[in-house]
Amino acid sequence: MFGRYIVKRVFFMLLSFVIIIFLYSAIFNVVMDQTLRSQIHEMVQGEIMGMTDSTPQEIQIYREQRIQTLYARYHLEDPTLQRIFWRAVGILKLDWGQASMLTSSNGSRDVFKIVVEKIYPTLLLFGIFAILDVTIGVLLGMKKAQKPGSKLDQSTSIMTMVVFGMPSWWLAMIFIMIFVYTIPIFPSGGMGSVPPPEGFAAIIDTIYHMALPILTLLCIGFWARAYMTRNIVVGTLQEDFIMSARARGLPEKKVLYGHGLRAAAPPIVTMGVMSLLMSIQGRLIFEGIFNWPGMGNLYWIAVQQNDIPVLLGLLATTTFVYLAGLAFLDVIYGFLDPRIKVGGKQ
Amino acid sequence: MREDKSTKWEETKKSIIEFWQEFKQVKYGLVGVALFFVFVLLILLEPYIIPFPEVNDRWGDVNYWEENPRKAAPVWTNYFGEYKAEHEFIRETDLDIKDLGKMKMINGSFIYDFDYDLPPKDLVFKANGKGNLNITIEVERPDGKIIEVVRRGIRSSGERVISLSLGNGGARRLYRFAEAYESEENKERFTADNVRSMFVLFGEAAEGMMKKPVPLVGDYKINYSIAAVGEDSMVEDPYLIVSGQVFGLFGTDTSKRDIWSGVIAGIKWAMLLGLLVAIISVTIGAIYGITAAYFGGRVDTIMMRIFEVFRGIPMLPVLIVLSAIFSPSIWLLLLMMCALYWRGPVLTIRSMGLQIREETYIEAAHALDATHSRIIFKHMIPQVIPLCFASMALRVPMAIVIEASVSLLGLGDSTIVTWGQILHGAMNGGAVLQGLWWWVIPPGLFIATMGMTFAFIGFAMDKILNPKLKTR
Repeated sequence: MFGRYIVKRVFFMLLSFVIIIFLYSAIFNVVMDQTLRSQIHEMVQGEIMGMTDSTPQEIQIYREQRIQTLYARYHLEDPTLQRIFWRAVGILKLDWGQASMLTSSNGSRDVFKIVVEKIYPTLLLFGIFAILDVTIGVLLGMKKAQKPGSKLDQSTSIMTMVVFGMPSWWLAMIFIMIFVYTIPIFPSGGMGSVPPPEGFAAIIDTIYHMALPILTLLCIGFWARAYMTRNIVVGTLQEDFIMSARARGLPEKKVLYGHGLRAAAPPIVTMGVMSLLMSIQGRLIFEGIFNWPGMGNLYWIAVQQNDIPVLLGLLATTTFVYLAGLAFLDVIYGFLDPRIKVGGKQ
Repeated sequence: MREDKSTKWEETKKSIIEFWQEFKQVKYGLVGVALFFVFVLLILLEPYIIPFPEVNDRWGDVNYWEENPRKAAPVWTNYFGEYKAEHEFIRETDLDIKDLGKMKMINGSFIYDFDYDLPPKDLVFKANGKGNLNITIEVERPDGKIIEVVRRGIRSSGERVISLSLGNGGARRLYRFAEAYESEENKERFTADNVRSMFVLFGEAAEGMMKKPVPLVGDYKINYSIAAVGEDSMVEDPYLIVSGQVFGLFGTDTSKRDIWSGVIAGIKWAMLLGLLVAIISVTIGAIYGITAAYFGGRVDTIMMRIFEVFRGIPMLPVLIVLSAIFSPSIWLLLLMMCALYWRGPVLTIRSMGLQIREETYIEAAHALDATHSRIIFKHMIPQVIPLCFASMALRVPMAIVIEASVSLLGLGDSTIVTWGQILHGAMNGGAVLQGLWWWVIPPGLFIATMGMTFAFIGFAMDKILNPKLKTR
């Protein structure tokens, strides 16, 4: 039963991905065609430069034929709908074309290679952030729920609202000014020192470079997590089984962490994964401030270089990571709370 | 029929008053409302409180900001630490024109009362001039020493603005002046190219005047004498700009723009964009959710499938790529945001709608043969309106941050001033590296404060509408 549920979720996720890719292909059709055409012309021009012992006429013929074959190969002469279709199929087959300016770390201009090597740093940064975020958030939230309306509860709730609309990248700029240039305790950016240290020192070095970005994200992040945990747990604590546990004379700690937290676990886990996903889709450009070599930083660079193929490849990757996260979320939610029957009959 | 309407209005009024009574109990909600009105007030007073009223049209126009100092700190920093020279215009001058037929001799002087710890960034002589002009500017210091700072010939067939910087143009002469007093060691450290000429001009003539001079306070007399050769040569309207170390409430950026004016001008865009995106997207989302809940069955399934596809779109990245390709105006950006953000409240509203659908009055409406749209809009939507307001309030900050993020990348509408645009300038202008905190902090602080305002209001509404959140 559960296996079927997982398969179903994954299937719908892939279906959504295919549909979204088709949407992207339709929206960005015109600009991609332009980029591809200019790339083809550039390439043919480059080939002609090498043909020193041909007559101008031969070159002219060669140019026309070559452009025609390449146009045909990339379906550029087809009607619009077919072009959209072929481009979407190309993206799904991971054939993302050549970047106009950027290259990957080993010099390749293949967009797929450029983008894929950026996934790991992003997941590393935001993954560690999400773990810390949820841990601190849940612990604080439990403390808040223990005595709703107390000084601690109220002040931390106010903090949630104070940082609610604060852009993480702005705080990053301020923190860099303070902790990098005024009081130099943290490195100014990047993921590691140059030259990179080896062995255990490399891990320490990465943590050192990760410290300030994660600190910045945490300063804004965990308040909301604590607030949500508090609301969920306060709601749970009003249930009958908690009252009966208290009536049985169980210690308050056990009631809170044993009964309360366990019952509230599914929404809290959801929240944790959501925290990671929301960071990935909403705080990506934060990386650019710290020069963290992930996908967010690549967005900055691609925008500055106006490298459309890379931007589209990034978008496809981000969408896939995001969708995979959502599907994962549904699956663990179903695992933790068997009452959930997504898409089941009522 | 008319009676019916008036009773309905009475009822609405009653429920609004009731809501307000409850809202008043939440302190931070009141703070939020107060802050909201402060922002509205600032928007209304904008033309009266900013020194550069044309900021909205000319934010990117270098000429408009030309007479401001570059990278000047806010004025109030003078209360902490060293007392830095303020920005001043000196127009008062004893102009004396001698017409000698083929040439005119124009003499005049400005008095600058210098009483600071740190000298101004520069002194700039400005005038309208025409023809063949030989300009000499000397400074008579309070200690009686006279330095000829600038001597320059200017030739121009038409009338144009003459602008002479004493700091740059006089660097060599001021260096020579300081050489007479300075120690050998300091003379070796500094050359005419890297000496801070204003430190020399406004410092006591003693050893160390190149490095860290003691400020020489008092009245400085800046004399100019211009020989205008030719009959139609002329000089008009001379004045002196004392380019301050400090300027305005929030200082200036590397393009000499007044940040206070920019930040205040940004309020209305943030408010407009935030509110419009929130209202439109929540309305669409609410109608979508209610419609799905009302029809149920296959319609619900299909609508939810479409919703799920939308749920899988990462919004900010899509918005960034769309903006990078279409470089949208603020209105197109607004439209794109609405098209992506409507999905937010759908799930909550739908689950509420599923409950409302089962209520007896909906059944009664069915029995009365009411149309679908009547049931949805007249009977179901009003039930979720309070929830929608809370949802809207919480979506305003999000919209503002999203716009700022897109602008930060340089993809915003460059014809208007938004906080994101200012921060984009700060990011590109190296404000973080150079420590120009007054360029970075105010715009972001305004984003955060406006976000906080709406968060206060939204959380307060949420607290009232969700009895479970109440503290026992």
